[in-house]
Amino acid sequence: MPETYVVAGANLAGGTAAATLRADGFNGRLILVGEEPVAPYERPPLSKEFLRGEAPFEKALIRPPGFWEANEIECRFGSRVARIDPGSRQAILDDGEALRYDKVLVATGLRNRTLHVPGSHLPGIHLLRTVADADAIRAETAGATAVVVVGMGFIGSEVAASLRRCGLDVVAVEPLPAPCYRALGPQIGAVVAAIHADHGVKMHFGESVDAFEGNERVERVVTGSGMHIDCDAVVVGVGTTPVTDLLEGTGVHLENGIVVDEHCRASVEGIYAAGDVANHLHPLVGGHIRVEHWQNALKQGAAAAKAMLGSPDPYDEVHWFWSDQYDTNIQSAGHVSDWTNPLIRGDLETRSFVAFSLRDGRIVGAVAVNRGKDLRRSIALIKAKAVVDPAKLADPDTDIRSALATA
Amino acid sequence: MGEPVTLCPADAVADLEMKAFAVGPDHIAVARIGGELYAFDDTCTHAACSLAEGELEGVTVVCPCHMGQYDLKTGEVLDGPPPDPIKVYPVYEDDGKLMVELD
Repeated sequence: MPETYVVAGANLAGGTAAATLRADGFNGRLILVGEEPVAPYERPPLSKEFLRGEAPFEKALIRPPGFWEANEIECRFGSRVARIDPGSRQAILDDGEALRYDKVLVATGLRNRTLHVPGSHLPGIHLLRTVADADAIRAETAGATAVVVVGMGFIGSEVAASLRRCGLDVVAVEPLPAPCYRALGPQIGAVVAAIHADHGVKMHFGESVDAFEGNERVERVVTGSGMHIDCDAVVVGVGTTPVTDLLEGTGVHLENGIVVDEHCRASVEGIYAAGDVANHLHPLVGGHIRVEHWQNALKQGAAAAKAMLGSPDPYDEVHWFWSDQYDTNIQSAGHVSDWTNPLIRGDLETRSFVAFSLRDGRIVGAVAVNRGKDLRRSIALIKAKAVVDPAKLADPDTDIRSALATA
Repeated sequence: MGEPVTLCPADAVADLEMKAFAVGPDHIAVARIGGELYAFDDTCTHAACSLAEGELEGVTVVCPCHMGQYDLKTGEVLDGPPPDPIKVYPVYEDDGKLMVELD
C-alpha cells in the first residue's frame, strides 16, 4: 500500500518540501494544501520589485507552471488544513474533507498581527503578506500621494523604500528607537534610519498609533503623542504570529510555533514542521529558534522532506537573510540575541561595514551593509565555531578568512 | 562565435580573482581559478548585482547580494534565488592579452 504524505502550506517551505519529496524518490500519494488560490511563490519581491511594478508575479513562482501536475503532486490551492487528528492520522480541510496521511508536514507560516485601535477597520489600511495584499497596496497607492507606514521592521522598511521610489510621500511611525531594531540593534538601526532619512522618509520613533480616522476611508493617523498625520493610505507591519491553530488540542508541543527537533520532527509521531512556523532545535545555536526568512523556508523545507524520507542528517544551516532598501544591501547571518557592543569592520558612516556579534571569542552572528563578500566569508567562521582574532576581523583590508586564530 | 575581443593584459586578473569588463552593452566577468580562465555574464539574473564583486568557491561564483550561486563551467544555477543561468564564454590568453569570444 503506497503511503500518503500531506503538506499543509503551499508556500516556499511547503512547496520546496513537496518538490524535494518527489525529487528524492517518494512515489506515494502527495497532497499540497495551501490557503492562497495560487501556486507556491516567493514573498521577498512583494515588498520590493513586485510592489514597485518592476517584476511580474510569474517571476516569483518557485516552480514553473505545470511542474506540480507533471510531478503528480495533488494541489489543493485555495484550501486550508483546518485541523490535524493524529489519532486517526487525518488532515481535515476547511470544507470538511478528511485526508488520511502517513506523514504530514506543517508549513503554515505566519499571519500578520493587526492593530486593535479605533478606526483599524477603515478602508485604505493594509497589511502585507500575500500577492493579493501587494496587489491591493499597488492599486491603492497608484492614485495616492501620502502613505503612512506603521512599523519599521524589515517589511515596513522595505515598503517605505519602495513607495518612496514610486514617488510617494512616506511617513513612518515606529514604537522602537530605530528601524529593524530587534534584528539589528541600535547602532546598525541608526544607519538604516539615516538611509531612509536621506531618501526623504519622515520617521517618528518611540511613537505608537492611537487611532485611524476618516469618513469613508482612512484620512489620518493619530499617534500616542497626539500627532495627526494626514494620508491617503496606510501599510501596517507590526509583526506576526505563527499559524498553529490546526494543531491546537492535539498534544503536539506548541511554544513560539511548533516545537521540532533537529530533524524537523514535532512531538507527536508522523508530524513534521518547517519554515516560519517551526521552532527548531538548531545544533549550531544549541537551543530552539524560529526563523522567519526566505533561506530558512527553502532549506528547512527541503531538510524536512529528507527527514520524512528517513535521512539521518540534522538541519544545521547557518541562518541568513537579506533586505534591500533603496541601493543598500543588508545581509545578516547567524543568530544574534544581543547587539550590545558589536565589533565593526569598515565604516558605519560610509555605509560599508560588517558588524560582528562575538561570544567567547567566536562569531555568533554578523550583519553586513553593502559588504556581501565579507558576509559570505563570515558564514564559514560562524559554522566553524572557531575562535577569531578581533584585530584582523576589524581591519577591512585583511581577508576575513585569515581571522581564524591559529593554534 | 563572434570576433575575439581584447579585455586587458593577461596579468590583470590574478589567480583566485575576478574582474568585470564593459564590452559594448555587455558586462563580462573573468575569473582565474587554479590557472584556468572562465568568462561569464557579470550580471546576476536575480537582482542584477555584479558577480565579480562576489566570492569564488571552487569553480562556483557566489553573488554578493543574495548568495545566488553559478557553476562557472556551464553557467547553471547551483543554489539561491536566481531564476535563470548566466552565459559563459570562451576565454584565453593570446600574446599577453586576455581574449574573450562573445556570441
